Amino acid sequence: MRSPLRRLVRALEREDVRSISRRYFISNGFDGALTSIGVTVGAYLSGIPDGLTVFSIGIGAAIGLGTSGVWSVWEIERAEKRAERARIEHAMLTDLADTRVQRQQAGARQVNALMSGIGPIIGVVLPMVPFLAEGTLLSMRAATLISIGVAVGILFAFGAYLATISEQSWLVAGARMGLAGVLVAVLNFLLPG
Amino acid sequence: MGRQLFDMVTARRLVLDLLKPYDPDVVTTAEAVADIDGVDGVNVVLAENEEEVQNVKMTVEGDPIRVEAVYETIEDLGAAVHSIDEAACGERLVEQSKTPQD
Repeated sequence: MRSPLRRLVRALEREDVRSISRRYFISNGFDGALTSIGVTVGAYLSGIPDGLTVFSIGIGAAIGLGTSGVWSVWEIERAEKRAERARIEHAMLTDLADTRVQRQQAGARQVNALMSGIGPIIGVVLPMVPFLAEGTLLSMRAATLISIGVAVGILFAFGAYLATISEQSWLVAGARMGLAGVLVAVLNFLLPG
Repeated sequence: MGRQLFDMVTARRLVLDLLKPYDPDVVTTAEAVADIDGVDGVNVVLAENEEEVQNVKMTVEGDPIRVEAVYETIEDLGAAVHSIDEAACGERLVEQSKTPQD
Protein backbone atom coordinates (compact mmCIF):
# COMPACT_ATOMS: atom_id res chain seq x y z
CA MET A 1 0.00 0.00 0.00
CA ARG A 2 1.56 3.27 -1.08
CA SER A 3 1.39 6.27 1.21
CA PRO A 4 -0.86 9.10 0.03
CA LEU A 5 2.14 11.46 -0.01
CA ARG A 6 4.11 9.14 -2.30
CA ARG A 7 1.10 8.88 -4.57
CA LEU A 8 0.95 12.68 -4.81
CA VAL A 9 4.68 12.91 -5.57
CA ARG A 10 4.39 10.25 -8.27
CA ALA A 11 1.42 12.08 -9.76
CA LEU A 12 3.39 15.34 -9.80
CA GLU A 13 6.13 13.68 -11.82
CA ARG A 14 3.69 13.14 -14.67
CA GLU A 15 3.58 15.90 -17.28
CA ASP A 16 -0.12 15.40 -18.05
CA VAL A 17 -0.97 15.87 -14.37
CA ARG A 18 1.24 18.98 -14.14
CA SER A 19 -0.32 20.42 -17.26
CA ILE A 20 -3.91 20.13 -16.01
CA SER A 21 -2.91 21.29 -12.50
CA ARG A 22 -1.19 24.35 -14.00
CA ARG A 23 -4.36 25.34 -15.81
CA TYR A 24 -6.50 25.08 -12.68
CA PHE A 25 -3.87 26.87 -10.58
CA ILE A 26 -3.48 29.82 -12.94
CA SER A 27 -7.16 30.08 -13.84
CA ASN A 28 -8.32 30.09 -10.21
CA GLY A 29 -5.36 32.19 -9.09
CA PHE A 30 -6.39 34.75 -11.71
CA ASP A 31 -9.93 34.72 -10.27
CA GLY A 32 -8.50 35.15 -6.78
CA ALA A 33 -6.25 38.09 -7.63
CA LEU A 34 -9.02 39.96 -9.45
CA THR A 35 -11.46 39.23 -6.62
CA SER A 36 -8.97 40.66 -4.13
CA ILE A 37 -8.73 43.87 -6.15
CA GLY A 38 -12.52 44.10 -6.16
CA VAL A 39 -12.64 43.54 -2.40
CA THR A 40 -9.91 46.07 -1.55
CA VAL A 41 -11.14 48.84 -3.83
CA GLY A 42 -14.74 48.22 -2.72
CA ALA A 43 -13.70 48.28 0.93
CA TYR A 44 -11.74 51.51 0.46
CA LEU A 45 -14.54 53.26 -1.42
CA SER A 46 -17.20 52.18 1.06
CA GLY A 47 -15.19 53.75 3.85
CA ILE A 48 -14.23 50.74 5.97
CA PRO A 49 -12.10 52.42 8.65
CA ASP A 50 -9.57 49.71 9.57
CA GLY A 51 -7.31 47.34 7.66
CA LEU A 52 -8.03 44.32 9.82
CA THR A 53 -11.67 44.31 8.70
CA VAL A 54 -10.60 44.39 5.05
CA PHE A 55 -8.12 41.59 5.73
CA SER A 56 -10.91 39.52 7.34
CA ILE A 57 -13.19 40.08 4.35
CA GLY A 58 -10.32 39.00 2.09
CA ILE A 59 -9.72 35.84 4.10
CA GLY A 60 -13.44 35.05 3.77
CA ALA A 61 -13.11 35.41 0.00
CA ALA A 62 -9.98 33.22 0.01
CA ILE A 63 -11.79 30.48 1.96
CA GLY A 64 -14.71 30.64 -0.44
CA LEU A 65 -12.63 30.60 -3.61
CA GLY A 66 -10.19 28.01 -2.24
CA THR A 67 -13.02 25.66 -1.27
CA SER A 68 -14.67 26.23 -4.62
CA GLY A 69 -11.39 25.45 -6.40
CA VAL A 70 -10.82 22.18 -4.55
CA TRP A 71 -14.43 21.00 -4.54
CA SER A 72 -15.31 21.75 -8.14
CA VAL A 73 -12.11 20.24 -9.54
CA TRP A 74 -12.47 17.18 -7.31
CA GLU A 75 -15.90 16.54 -8.83
CA ILE A 76 -14.91 17.51 -12.38
CA GLU A 77 -11.87 15.24 -12.36
CA ARG A 78 -13.78 12.39 -10.71
CA ALA A 79 -16.24 12.44 -13.60
CA GLU A 80 -13.60 12.94 -16.31
CA LYS A 81 -11.31 10.22 -15.01
CA ARG A 82 -14.18 7.78 -14.49
CA ALA A 83 -15.26 8.39 -18.07
CA GLU A 84 -11.67 7.85 -19.26
CA ARG A 85 -11.38 4.62 -17.26
CA ALA A 86 -14.74 3.40 -18.55
CA ARG A 87 -13.51 3.87 -22.14
CA ILE A 88 -10.39 1.81 -21.43
CA GLU A 89 -12.40 -0.84 -19.56
CA HIS A 90 -14.79 -1.05 -22.50
CA ALA A 91 -11.86 -1.54 -24.91
CA MET A 92 -10.20 -4.12 -22.65
CA LEU A 93 -13.36 -5.88 -21.47
CA THR A 94 -11.97 -5.87 -17.94
CA ASP A 95 -12.46 -4.09 -14.62
CA LEU A 96 -9.64 -1.67 -13.78
CA ALA A 97 -10.75 -0.93 -10.20
CA ASP A 98 -7.93 -1.37 -7.68
CA THR A 99 -5.23 -1.35 -10.35
CA ARG A 100 -2.35 1.04 -10.95
CA VAL A 101 -4.52 2.82 -13.52
CA GLN A 102 -7.13 3.62 -10.87
CA ARG A 103 -4.48 4.64 -8.29
CA GLN A 104 -2.74 6.93 -10.79
CA GLN A 105 -6.03 8.59 -11.59
CA ALA A 106 -6.77 9.10 -7.89
CA GLY A 107 -3.33 10.67 -7.35
CA ALA A 108 -3.78 12.93 -10.37
CA ARG A 109 -7.20 14.05 -9.11
CA GLN A 110 -5.78 14.95 -5.70
CA VAL A 111 -2.96 17.02 -7.21
CA ASN A 112 -5.37 18.77 -9.60
CA ALA A 113 -7.75 19.66 -6.75
CA LEU A 114 -4.94 20.80 -4.45
CA MET A 115 -3.40 23.11 -7.04
CA SER A 116 -6.83 24.42 -7.96
CA GLY A 117 -7.36 25.44 -4.32
CA ILE A 118 -3.88 26.88 -3.75
CA GLY A 119 -4.15 29.26 -6.75
CA PRO A 120 -6.97 31.45 -5.42
CA ILE A 121 -5.63 31.35 -1.85
CA ILE A 122 -2.33 32.85 -3.06
CA GLY A 123 -4.22 35.24 -5.33
CA VAL A 124 -6.35 36.60 -2.48
CA VAL A 125 -4.27 36.30 0.70
CA LEU A 126 -1.05 37.98 -0.51
CA PRO A 127 -2.78 41.18 -1.69
CA MET A 128 -4.50 41.38 1.71
CA VAL A 129 -1.25 41.41 3.69
CA PRO A 130 -0.66 45.22 3.38
CA PHE A 131 -3.90 45.78 5.31
CA LEU A 132 -2.29 44.19 8.35
CA ALA A 133 0.10 47.16 8.43
CA GLU A 134 -2.73 49.69 8.23
CA GLY A 135 -2.74 51.95 11.25
CA THR A 136 0.93 51.44 12.02
CA LEU A 137 2.93 51.78 8.80
CA LEU A 138 0.28 52.49 6.21
CA SER A 139 -2.87 54.53 5.72
CA MET A 140 -5.98 52.87 4.23
CA ARG A 141 -5.29 54.59 0.94
CA ALA A 142 -1.66 53.40 0.85
CA ALA A 143 -2.64 49.86 1.91
CA THR A 144 -5.24 49.76 -0.87
CA LEU A 145 -2.77 50.95 -3.50
CA ILE A 146 -0.07 48.52 -2.34
CA SER A 147 -2.64 45.71 -2.27
CA ILE A 148 -3.60 46.46 -5.88
CA GLY A 149 0.11 46.51 -6.72
CA VAL A 150 0.64 43.08 -5.11
CA ALA A 151 -2.35 41.61 -6.98
CA VAL A 152 -1.12 43.04 -10.29
CA GLY A 153 2.34 41.64 -9.45
CA ILE A 154 0.84 38.19 -8.87
CA LEU A 155 -0.99 38.39 -12.19
CA PHE A 156 2.25 39.48 -13.86
CA ALA A 157 4.04 36.50 -12.28
CA PHE A 158 1.34 34.13 -13.57
CA GLY A 159 1.73 35.55 -17.08
CA ALA A 160 5.53 35.41 -16.93
CA TYR A 161 5.39 31.82 -15.69
CA LEU A 162 3.07 30.81 -18.54
CA ALA A 163 5.49 32.50 -20.94
CA THR A 164 8.41 30.42 -19.67
CA ILE A 165 6.63 27.17 -20.54
CA SER A 166 5.38 28.36 -23.92
CA GLU A 167 8.41 30.21 -25.27
CA GLN A 168 6.74 33.62 -25.23
CA SER A 169 8.19 36.89 -24.00
CA TRP A 170 7.76 36.85 -20.21
CA LEU A 171 7.55 40.64 -20.15
CA VAL A 172 4.72 40.82 -22.69
CA ALA A 173 2.81 37.84 -21.28
CA GLY A 174 3.21 39.18 -17.73
CA ALA A 175 2.07 42.66 -18.75
CA ARG A 176 -0.95 41.18 -20.54
CA MET A 177 -2.06 39.38 -17.38
CA GLY A 178 -1.23 42.32 -15.12
CA LEU A 179 -3.32 44.62 -17.29
CA ALA A 180 -6.44 42.72 -16.22
CA GLY A 181 -5.74 43.72 -12.61
CA VAL A 182 -5.30 47.39 -13.52
CA LEU A 183 -8.51 47.27 -15.55
CA VAL A 184 -10.52 45.76 -12.69
CA ALA A 185 -9.16 48.39 -10.28
CA VAL A 186 -10.06 51.23 -12.66
CA LEU A 187 -13.53 49.80 -13.29
CA ASN A 188 -14.12 49.52 -9.55
CA PHE A 189 -13.13 53.14 -9.05
CA LEU A 190 -15.21 54.39 -11.98
CA LEU A 191 -18.38 52.35 -11.73
CA PRO A 192 -20.97 53.39 -9.17
CA GLY A 193 -21.40 51.21 -6.07
CA MET B 1 -8.21 -16.38 -16.23
CA GLY B 2 -7.78 -18.19 -12.93
CA ARG B 3 -4.51 -17.00 -11.50
CA GLN B 4 -4.77 -19.65 -8.80
CA LEU B 5 -3.98 -22.19 -11.49
CA PHE B 6 -0.40 -20.89 -11.39
CA ASP B 7 -0.02 -21.00 -7.63
CA MET B 8 3.58 -22.09 -6.96
CA VAL B 9 4.24 -22.68 -10.68
CA THR B 10 7.65 -21.44 -11.81
CA ALA B 11 9.16 -21.01 -15.25
CA ARG B 12 12.42 -19.91 -16.85
CA ARG B 13 10.85 -18.07 -19.75
CA LEU B 14 7.38 -16.77 -20.44
CA VAL B 15 6.20 -15.13 -23.63
CA LEU B 16 2.86 -13.42 -23.11
CA ASP B 17 0.46 -11.67 -25.45
CA LEU B 18 -0.91 -8.69 -23.48
CA LEU B 19 -3.61 -6.10 -23.94
CA LYS B 20 -2.79 -2.97 -21.96
CA PRO B 21 -3.89 0.67 -21.59
CA TYR B 22 -1.49 3.30 -23.01
CA ASP B 23 -0.82 4.38 -19.46
CA PRO B 24 1.24 2.91 -17.72
CA ASP B 25 3.54 2.97 -20.75
CA VAL B 26 5.64 0.03 -21.99
CA VAL B 27 8.74 1.12 -20.04
CA THR B 28 6.82 1.26 -16.75
CA THR B 29 5.18 -2.05 -17.56
CA ALA B 30 8.51 -3.75 -18.33
CA GLU B 31 10.14 -2.24 -15.24
CA ALA B 32 7.33 -3.37 -12.93
CA VAL B 33 7.65 -6.99 -14.10
CA ALA B 34 11.48 -6.81 -14.03
CA ASP B 35 11.26 -5.81 -10.33
CA ILE B 36 9.67 -9.15 -9.40
CA ASP B 37 11.97 -11.44 -7.40
CA GLY B 38 13.50 -14.09 -9.64
CA VAL B 39 13.03 -12.15 -12.87
CA ASP B 40 16.35 -11.51 -14.62
CA GLY B 41 15.07 -9.53 -17.57
CA VAL B 42 12.00 -8.40 -19.47
CA ASN B 43 11.40 -7.41 -23.07
CA VAL B 44 8.20 -5.71 -24.21
CA VAL B 45 7.53 -5.26 -27.91
CA LEU B 46 4.64 -3.25 -29.30
CA ALA B 47 2.53 -5.38 -31.60
CA GLU B 48 -0.39 -3.06 -32.32
CA ASN B 49 -1.79 0.31 -31.29
CA GLU B 50 -5.55 0.56 -30.98
CA GLU B 51 -7.68 3.55 -30.01
CA GLU B 52 -7.63 3.08 -26.23
CA VAL B 53 -5.30 0.11 -25.77
CA GLN B 54 -2.06 -1.47 -26.96
CA ASN B 55 -1.30 -5.04 -27.84
CA VAL B 56 2.21 -6.00 -26.70
CA LYS B 57 4.35 -9.12 -26.56
CA MET B 58 6.17 -9.55 -23.27
CA THR B 59 9.12 -11.90 -22.82
CA VAL B 60 10.15 -12.62 -19.25
CA GLU B 61 13.24 -14.60 -18.29
CA GLY B 62 14.42 -15.56 -14.82
CA ASP B 63 15.51 -18.28 -12.49
CA PRO B 64 12.88 -19.11 -11.46
CA ILE B 65 9.98 -16.86 -12.41
CA ARG B 66 6.94 -17.16 -10.14
CA VAL B 67 4.19 -17.17 -12.75
CA GLU B 68 1.54 -16.09 -10.26
CA ALA B 69 3.61 -13.03 -9.29
CA VAL B 70 3.95 -12.06 -12.96
CA TYR B 71 0.19 -12.36 -13.44
CA GLU B 72 -0.51 -10.32 -10.30
CA THR B 73 1.81 -7.52 -11.46
CA ILE B 74 0.33 -7.50 -14.95
CA GLU B 75 -3.19 -7.27 -13.53
CA ASP B 76 -2.12 -4.49 -11.16
CA LEU B 77 -0.80 -2.57 -14.18
CA GLY B 78 -4.28 -2.80 -15.66
CA ALA B 79 -3.16 -5.16 -18.43
CA ALA B 80 -4.75 -8.46 -19.41
CA VAL B 81 -3.07 -11.66 -20.61
CA HIS B 82 -4.54 -12.65 -23.96
CA SER B 83 -2.50 -15.78 -24.30
CA ILE B 84 0.67 -17.52 -23.16
CA ASP B 85 2.64 -17.84 -26.37
CA GLU B 86 5.64 -19.65 -24.93
CA ALA B 87 6.60 -21.21 -21.60
CA ALA B 88 9.93 -22.77 -20.72
CA CYS B 89 10.22 -24.64 -17.42
CA GLY B 90 12.63 -27.08 -15.79
CA GLU B 91 16.27 -27.25 -14.76
CA ARG B 92 17.60 -25.52 -17.86
CA LEU B 93 16.31 -23.25 -20.60
CA VAL B 94 15.34 -25.22 -23.70
CA GLU B 95 14.83 -23.53 -27.05
CA GLN B 96 12.19 -24.87 -29.41
CA SER B 97 13.68 -27.43 -31.78
CA LYS B 98 13.42 -27.34 -35.53
CA THR B 99 11.18 -29.86 -37.20
CA PRO B 100 10.78 -30.68 -40.89
CA GLN B 101 7.50 -28.75 -40.86
CA ASP B 102 9.45 -25.56 -39.97
